[in-house]
Amino acid sequence: MMYNLYVERDSILHRLDPRVKILSSLLGILAMILFNSPYLLFILFTLLSLSLRFLGKISFKEQIKVLKPLTPLIIITIAIWPFILEPKTFGLFIGLGYALRLASMAMITFGLLMTTTQRELILGFIKLKMPYEIGLTLTIALRYIPTLFNLAQTIIDAQKSRGLELEKGNFFSKIKKTVPVLIPLIIASIKTAHELSIALESRAFGANKKRTFLYTIEMKGKDYIALIIVFLLFGLALYARYQLGIGYVKLY
Amino acid sequence: MIEVKNLWHIYEGRKIALKDVSLTIENEILALVGPNGSGKTTLAKHLNGLLKPTKGDVIVDGINTKEASVAELSRIVGYVFQNPEHMFFEENVFKEVAFGPKNLGLSKDEIEKRVEWALRSVNLKGYEDRSPYSLSGGEKQRLAIACMLAMNPKYLILDEPTTGLDAKSAESVKEVIRKLKEKGHGIMLITHDMELVLELAERVVLLYEGIKVFDGTINEFFQLDLRNYDLDKPELLKISERLSVGFVRNINEFVTSLLRRMRA
Ligand SMILES: Nc1ncnc2c1ncn2[C@@H]1O[C@H](COP(=O)(O)OP(=O)(O)O)[C@@H](O)[C@H]1O
Ligand SMILES: [Mg+2]
Repeated sequence: MMYNLYVERDSILHRLDPRVKILSSLLGILAMILFNSPYLLFILFTLLSLSLRFLGKISFKEQIKVLKPLTPLIIITIAIWPFILEPKTFGLFIGLGYALRLASMAMITFGLLMTTTQRELILGFIKLKMPYEIGLTLTIALRYIPTLFNLAQTIIDAQKSRGLELEKGNFFSKIKKTVPVLIPLIIASIKTAHELSIALESRAFGANKKRTFLYTIEMKGKDYIALIIVFLLFGLALYARYQLGIGYVKLY
Repeated sequence: MIEVKNLWHIYEGRKIALKDVSLTIENEILALVGPNGSGKTTLAKHLNGLLKPTKGDVIVDGINTKEASVAELSRIVGYVFQNPEHMFFEENVFKEVAFGPKNLGLSKDEIEKRVEWALRSVNLKGYEDRSPYSLSGGEKQRLAIACMLAMNPKYLILDEPTTGLDAKSAESVKEVIRKLKEKGHGIMLITHDMELVLELAERVVLLYEGIKVFDGTINEFFQLDLRNYDLDKPELLKISERLSVGFVRNINEFVTSLLRRMRA
């Protein structure tokens, strides 16, 4: 069951050079780390979602769909901060901010993958002189997520058939009960990864340091303009954070 | 007896996987056959409550699966999944088999008795200290069967038990299946291996696109034109038909009939 996040559309983001999109994504993720104010992070998340919608033609429904698997992680993030920070309401407030930050970072990554074909993505990484393995690893990892979900479901079913009751018991016994599910899942994943590495090596992956290309990419006027805008926005973020002191809440 | 009554199953996303299927399962070897995607696994998962009917009922020895948990039903129906590795997580064979009985809340003595008995039933006595992952394909499959047997279920569902095994391992699994039948277990074999059906099954249910299109004896089953259902007759039956020696189930029967015919 192969999986690709790319959605075919005719949009500004789709037509941008992959290098611009990769750089912007990195800067975007960095910008998210600058701020921890839930208010500001909420505004940034909203802007992100809107620009994906209007510049990338990715509907809100599609955005929710790719973020949905992160729900447990987001809930844990929100729930854990009230235990770390006093008073609890303040902890919850900060937790909310961190959840928004997490969602934004995911949205940036997914946005990149939804508007860029795998071929362009890998080409972009190489032309940026970054290890293109990063791009390849990212796309492979993402397209195995649904496979992993199905596998986990099968394993849960198998263990339930042996009388395992995942829902019953207190918090700690529930954690203990995940062992019969996690071990087969990890072993099966490692096996899949191993098979994949054989498949890659048998196609001489990594044999040649210098790669040749069938397709190539070229920066055009609009790509430079987009890059300038992104750098300006990032500069603005730095200015706001360090000169104006906006968007940062002291925690301790 | 397991009764499946007018069972419909519609997956989320509106895929109709089973359409009005009814059948009963008793102490016999029933083969559930059909091409990929015909709904075999979906049907089997209803028998121990992993899936609940969208419409219709499944009654297992008088218990409606809608009113019971999978854990409760696991005492009556054992489901051996297609890939045995999807259930192994313990460090040795003994612990692996003991996991099910432990979940049933049995005493230590009773658990040990069950494990010993289950391992003997699948000819894996003496493997207690081995790691489940170190076993061969056939041994893994038999261990998976032992894990379910230790819960002492009356019915056993086996999903593609011989797929991917070499001939010798497959034979060892078949031997175990025959033995279990002798002991009075009801067995449902899910398979699209027609050779296996011919060798082991007594009754066959054929699913096609979620509809039960056939339910009858093995003899009647092989009179169907299986090509209509993307299945093929076993070579043995094709040869015996060409030579008009009649319906045979294995090489021995084939040779006997052939010799009888030649003498006549
Ligand atoms: N979890 C699921 N969600 C949606 N559709 C499913 C799911 N599982 C199976 N199906 C669909 O239901 C049909 C029957 O599947 P299945 O019972 O697995 O068939 P078989 O075991 O005979 O190969 C197939 O078309 C399959 O794609
Ligand atoms: Mg199946």
